[in-house]
Amino acid sequence: MTREPRAVALKGVQKRFGDVTAVADVDLEIRPGELMVLVGPSGCGKSTLLRLIAGLEERDAGEVWIGDRCVDEVAPGGRDVAMVFQSYALYPHMTVAENLGFGLRVRGAGTPAIEGRVREVADVLGLRGLLSRRPGQLSGGQQQRVALGRAMVRDPGVFLFDEPLSNLDAALRLQTRDEIAALHRRLGTTMIFVTHDQVEALSLGQRVAVMDRGRVQQVGTPAEVYERPANLFVAGFVGSPPMNRLHLVRGRDGRLAGGPFVFPGPLDHREATLGVRPEDLTLAVVTRPGPGPQPDSVGMSGGAHSSAEFTATALRVESLGSEQRVHLDGPGEAAWVARAPSALRVAAGDRVEVAVVWERTHLFGPDGSRIGAASRPGGASPP
Amino acid sequence: MRGAGAARVIPLVAAGAAAASGVLILVVAADAPSRAREHATREEARAAASLYELPGATEADVLSLLDGRARIVAPEAGGAGPGAHAYRAGALEPAAWIAVEPRDEGSRWPWAPSVLALLGALCMAAWAAGRRRSPPPPRFPAAPAFLCAAMFALVAVTAQQWARGELEAISTSRLAGGLRAAEIAGAAGADPEAAARVAGLPWASGAALGEPDRIWTMPREVGAAIAAAPRLRTAPRYTVAAGGATYHGGSIALGPGPPVRAEDPANNLHLVFLGYEETTSPAVALIASSLGCVLLVSLVLFLLPLAARPRALSRTLAAWGFLTPAAALLLLFTFGPLLFSLWISLHDWRLVDPAHPFLGLANYRALLGDGAWWSAVRNTGVFTLHVPLAMAVALSLALLTRESRRAVRWARLALFLPSITSVVAIAVVWKWLLNDGYGLANRALGAIGLGPVAWLSSPDIALVSLMVIGVWMVVGYQMVVFQAGLAAIPRVWYDAARVDGAGPWQRFRHITLPGLRHTLFFVLVTSVIGSFQVFGLVYVMTEGGPLGATDVAVYHIYREAWEFLRFGNAAAMSWILFGVVFAATWLHFRFLERRGAHA
Repeated sequence: MTREPRAVALKGVQKRFGDVTAVADVDLEIRPGELMVLVGPSGCGKSTLLRLIAGLEERDAGEVWIGDRCVDEVAPGGRDVAMVFQSYALYPHMTVAENLGFGLRVRGAGTPAIEGRVREVADVLGLRGLLSRRPGQLSGGQQQRVALGRAMVRDPGVFLFDEPLSNLDAALRLQTRDEIAALHRRLGTTMIFVTHDQVEALSLGQRVAVMDRGRVQQVGTPAEVYERPANLFVAGFVGSPPMNRLHLVRGRDGRLAGGPFVFPGPLDHREATLGVRPEDLTLAVVTRPGPGPQPDSVGMSGGAHSSAEFTATALRVESLGSEQRVHLDGPGEAAWVARAPSALRVAAGDRVEVAVVWERTHLFGPDGSRIGAASRPGGASPP
Repeated sequence: MRGAGAARVIPLVAAGAAAASGVLILVVAADAPSRAREHATREEARAAASLYELPGATEADVLSLLDGRARIVAPEAGGAGPGAHAYRAGALEPAAWIAVEPRDEGSRWPWAPSVLALLGALCMAAWAAGRRRSPPPPRFPAAPAFLCAAMFALVAVTAQQWARGELEAISTSRLAGGLRAAEIAGAAGADPEAAARVAGLPWASGAALGEPDRIWTMPREVGAAIAAAPRLRTAPRYTVAAGGATYHGGSIALGPGPPVRAEDPANNLHLVFLGYEETTSPAVALIASSLGCVLLVSLVLFLLPLAARPRALSRTLAAWGFLTPAAALLLLFTFGPLLFSLWISLHDWRLVDPAHPFLGLANYRALLGDGAWWSAVRNTGVFTLHVPLAMAVALSLALLTRESRRAVRWARLALFLPSITSVVAIAVVWKWLLNDGYGLANRALGAIGLGPVAWLSSPDIALVSLMVIGVWMVVGYQMVVFQAGLAAIPRVWYDAARVDGAGPWQRFRHITLPGLRHTLFFVLVTSVIGSFQVFGLVYVMTEGGPLGATDVAVYHIYREAWEFLRFGNAAAMSWILFGVVFAATWLHFRFLERRGAHA
């Protein structure tokens, strides 16, 4: 089980299907022993990229390196990779043991060696009692483990996961996610994990590559991707609910302005986009419409006693138990969402004062790339 | 609760009713022989009494006549024993009674059919026991009903055969007794007429045979038939067919002087007896009653649980109302002819002969030794070997055209054409192509210097030629089915196998073949069934020849029926073929069911 983990490198890789470019000029380095997550919306090319690494698709341009060799002319079976598919792709007419041993069998391994290795892996994954069953007799979670085991049996240099958790229910998905993370710690093998779920990506990946329209938009640790999104796409894709945005335009006085805010600069952009994560807004309820009881003096959300930046009306309140999401009708044309502690008493129709944690805001240039954090607006015009 | 109680009682009722049906069948079957036996015994007693009345006859003659079954009893003895018939020889003083015990030989009860019926009832009981555990849903118990009906039809047929044997034995012994009585009477000095009266059978003297005016009691056509056959005129025993019936007959020599069987048949006394079996033909009643019983019982079983639930009952009756026209058509045009052919197969049924004597299973027995039939069966089997060959070709084509949609379309178009073309047109074209002299095939061979091949005129090659055409005909259809089967195999299995390191052959062996196994089985079974029924090709191209080399089962049946007009044989052959095809189909359906359960 102690194999030297392999590095994977993609150099200018392209793949088209007819007129559609699935992967456009991707450069990506995956370090030996790293768990890299490829994440993006469906159709972004992440699965195609994984299949290019596995050799299941022919690349149109570029090179794929696994370890210290270029594998472009190597068949999938010779690339020292193993893959777990979304639908598990277990062979339905074989028992669990035969499924696990298939990769060794077609490589001509002897029966005792196969049996020993299958048993070893079955013990690790708790499949010992299921070896003589067929996939059709297993639950989804058990099938998932068999698919995992089939990848492990060959002890490959690189594991490829193609959305392996999508077919599981929510509870099982969390559990399996943890198990894969544990497996990675234990095996120390390079793993490339494709998912469309940004929560899964952030919680599982050591590094995350966010993809969109066939291109890698950003590669970084989960914290980097979340806290310093490289562009508007990453900012919008990572985080739930997505980042609030406000379009800013340079006014006659040379200052960027939008909604209630007027920023001092930077001056070299005609327009920009302000991005604020929902948790970086703090709310205070000021008035409640109609006769009923008014809020007790002031209800604050968030720790900082920052002065109110603007006021807005709560359109809708979603309670999630541990917190609530408050949909606001401002600050500009677009509605914003704020995350508030569940202790805050807020209801639809309330007027709320909203404060912004400016240090954690983001400013994106006209091309969508991140410029930096927005500075505190100078003269806040009255709402 | 009532419904559940009824459901629990019903299986018992079913088993009981099945047993009752069996008993009824057997009682009906045993009835005719028992009546014939009684009649024969009475006639024997009467003959013995008449003999005793003859002046020349002695008591010993009478007793020897009936092999010790006759006793002379005094009137005050109080008559005869149980089952015996007594006849008063009134002309003698003192008056004496002749008592005759019934003949003992033969069995009084159809044991073999009884065992069959018992087995049938046990099957029904087993089914009933199975149903007892799980109350029946309100569904017509079609499978057990028809199985049971078939079982009892078989019981009825064997019972009928038993009865026929019994009747024949009784008839023969009755004739033998009559002849013996006449012989003893003649020896005692009676003239032919008196001797014949003692025998109590229709008679004619050898001289009077064929002369209608001089025959007194024998039916004229019987006399004419005996007179027309010189062999019969001196034969001691014979059977003769006349007027649509079979008579048992025999001749003895009577006349002045010692009873010597003269070469001159004019001296013989002929006695005939219309066999008992011709007067009773219970087969129809037997089979009809058995089918009726079982279906009636099934119907009652079906309606009984529903009676407790009026809404279900009315719904069911309405459903059957809607079903009736279709069911009637099915019965009339599918099951009716089917059963009629079964009926024909049990008879000597020729188109030119209005009489269809019942043969039982004799047609089937005869088929066992019919070399031509088994040769046709063997040819059918050999022809069927084209199916795996065609499947291999079709699968290869399907795999070759798998990757390209355009190739798929063209291959489909080209190869599917034979499947939608009339088999007669195909056969005619191939007959031209394979003609020995001017056929394209031999011309092409000639062009490259190879000698002509007797494609259809050589007994060694003709069947192979038909098999090649058979492959060509089915390959397109099979390919389309395989293409559909291949399309249903998820690509991801191939992806997984490729990552696992499986090469093209291993992927075919471990992914494609197992993924296609239902399709393969389906194609195999349907093609084999189709191959069993091959007819058009043979009919148009070879007419079974040369030398019967391409005589296949269906063509053989066709010739048996429509050329030789032997419908009984043809029907029996059809039923054997039906049995084989039915077994194949049944296996197929079982397999489909299992597959459905696993899916």
